[in-house]
Amino acid sequence: MLRKFKVYKERKQHRDGPYGHLFEPYEGDEVVSLDCETTSLDVKEAEILSIGAVRIKGRRVKTSERLDIKLKPPKSLTGDSIVIHKIRAMDLSEGVEIEEALEQVLDFVGNRPILGYYVNFDINMLDKFLRPRYGFGLPNKAIELSHVYHDIVKWKSIGGDVDLRFDTIANKLNLPMLERHTALGDAITVALMYVRLKFGEAPKL
Amino acid sequence: MAQEFNAENLPFSLLEPNELALLQNNLDIGYYQQGENLITAGEAPEGLFIILKGKVRESESKEGEDEHVFVHYGDEDYFGAWSALKGKAIHNFVAEEETIAHILPTKLLLELVYSNPRFGDYFSRTLAAKTEIHEQQGEEQGMAEFMLAQVDGEVMRDPLIVLEETTIKETTALMREKHADSVLVKRGGRYGIVTGTDLLNAAVLKEVPLSTPVADIASYRLITVEAGDYLFNALTLMTLQHIERVVVMDDTKLMGVIELTDVLSYFSSHSHVIGLRIQRAATIEDLSRAAHGLNDLIRSLVSHGVKARFAMDLVAAMNERVMAKLFTLLVPEDILPHVCLVVMGSEGRGEQIMKTDQDNGVIMRDGLDWPDREKVLQTFTDTLIEFGYPECPGNIMVSNPYWVQHLGDWSQRLNHWANKAEGDALMNLAIAVDAKPVAGNPALFKAARNWFLRQMHNNEVFFSHFVKASLEFDTPLTFFGGIKSKDSGIDIKKGGVFPIVHGVRTLALQHRILETNTFKRIDALIEAGALKKQQGNDLVEALSIFVQIRLQQQLLRMDNEDFNESPNLIIPDRLDRLDKDLLREALKVVKEFKKHLSMRFHLDR
Repeated sequence: MLRKFKVYKERKQHRDGPYGHLFEPYEGDEVVSLDCETTSLDVKEAEILSIGAVRIKGRRVKTSERLDIKLKPPKSLTGDSIVIHKIRAMDLSEGVEIEEALEQVLDFVGNRPILGYYVNFDINMLDKFLRPRYGFGLPNKAIELSHVYHDIVKWKSIGGDVDLRFDTIANKLNLPMLERHTALGDAITVALMYVRLKFGEAPKL
Repeated sequence: MAQEFNAENLPFSLLEPNELALLQNNLDIGYYQQGENLITAGEAPEGLFIILKGKVRESESKEGEDEHVFVHYGDEDYFGAWSALKGKAIHNFVAEEETIAHILPTKLLLELVYSNPRFGDYFSRTLAAKTEIHEQQGEEQGMAEFMLAQVDGEVMRDPLIVLEETTIKETTALMREKHADSVLVKRGGRYGIVTGTDLLNAAVLKEVPLSTPVADIASYRLITVEAGDYLFNALTLMTLQHIERVVVMDDTKLMGVIELTDVLSYFSSHSHVIGLRIQRAATIEDLSRAAHGLNDLIRSLVSHGVKARFAMDLVAAMNERVMAKLFTLLVPEDILPHVCLVVMGSEGRGEQIMKTDQDNGVIMRDGLDWPDREKVLQTFTDTLIEFGYPECPGNIMVSNPYWVQHLGDWSQRLNHWANKAEGDALMNLAIAVDAKPVAGNPALFKAARNWFLRQMHNNEVFFSHFVKASLEFDTPLTFFGGIKSKDSGIDIKKGGVFPIVHGVRTLALQHRILETNTFKRIDALIEAGALKKQQGNDLVEALSIFVQIRLQQQLLRMDNEDFNESPNLIIPDRLDRLDKDLLREALKVVKEFKKHLSMRFHLDR
């Protein structure tokens, strides 16, 4: 709820500004699947390492139109996240500054809905860096993949909890596991899951 | 996005890094539900499809007909290139199950095809072109060995040296006697060379008297190589100088002569040696040693990159000579002109590579009385088994009196089988019509064959029955992509070899073609206008591919001493990517051919 209020407020402020188009309601049939790799799962202290995004148009994952940004290594790159993402400081030595990255993200996403797995985390991460610089966070409609999945399979799983783990979903949907834990790889996998859920038959449980 | 798109597979491995980057930047991923068309016949396809996961069938559906499925594509297979390049699809490509596929837009495919000719060639439609590329990629090892071979005794001939005063006439006679193409003549401290062509020029064109010493017409500017030099250098030298032989020197000592033909036949030089040994064998023991050398020969031929099809010709010729020699050694001289040893089945067609089962028989002149024959022929069969030719499981061997017949009975029986037109009779007939005479009096065999061909002429009913067997087994095309069937393997004989061999056999019989070898039969059928050229060539390629793949896996099993599996079992998963591609294309050809046969002989399947 908090996010919605913020979006309303910021829309009023920026509707007529240079980024006004971001606040217009989206009319097209595209969705952007987005994923950030970060140094921590706590938004407050996390830094962004890389951002991957891909457009979905209808039942087509437009991997030819994609975003694959590596950022300059943050000071907080620690052992823990290195283990998860296998990104070391040296891998990021050729990365771009966060300002450049944000500009590219806004440009790529526009006012399209943003899709992700636990998408609020990614949006909050981006917002954390956007607000001090632009005065607003991402106003886009957010599509949570695990909700889409849950809505479809809940009818089939009477009484039980739905297993919403990433790997489980990919498995149930019988999708190939692309490289995990790269921002772009995850973004594409989520995009495939989405297309599969939207257009395919409900998965068997 | 190298992580999702596997660029190690052909033809994508042919791309340069910058081209690959371009490709990967332009791929999309499409999602298709079961039954959905990825490409629709008659429409322009979006581009080249590479399956990430799923299964797609290529099929044709005409109004009022059942859908005819050509081929299935599975994970990592690609399709649609040809349609994309042509701008219009001929067949439907339908998702057999839910499918996710990379799509390379036509525009980009075209760019890559133009920028990289090898990549472009790969999409050329004919199987022949694909085979060519495959061979280039696989050839390197054999080529390297060839390049490293040295000038030594194996390829070198002893020089034929004549005295200075020897005349042209004497020299010619000597060359003829020694089967030499050239002689060396020493004048003063130098050697000169005289070739057959030199002699001809001198005697015919320049009309030099035949009593002239050859030393007068010799050429003293010898082109030489050092002993131990690379054979390749000798070849280059000959090519550069437009000559057909070079002289081998060890410092100043004359060692021998290398002929161009010797270098060129280097790959099969071992075969030459074995051939000689078979020829010279005076006893069964000698012959046995020569026969045992054949396995090594096959191995060396294949490792030198000789195509299976040619290795097959050579080995068949060798096997034939072994049998002919043995037959001649065993059968008494006075009987020999009155009997004819025939080899049948794959041996008759000259299509076995490894030593395969014996399939042989004897035709005797009518009225011949040969009381000893059972004993002699039993020895023949037993000795061949000792030589490493396994027993025929169907007992089609000369040790079985059923396959030792007088001419009249032999012919009558062919006719009887043809009229019976079922089961064993047809199988026996199929084996017998591939018969080829190898020893004794071939006229006996020819009489039987010609009589039979005349009997069968225009007997459409017989041919329709006969051809049926080639449609009996399904072409195992659905193997690719289907995970369930992946480890069971396919029977290449039933699925690929037999339909072609038997179909071609039927056509050959119908057109009274005397060849028994399937490749030669196909050539003859094209010649006779009974097969379209393209179709014939495709069949040749397809059969060569089956043979090559089968041989590869056979050799592999020999190395692993794994004798449990049938030689005809092919495990697609053990094949590399391109072989799998080729196998699939080849099976496609088989499927088309079967369709062709059933239409031609009015068989409804």
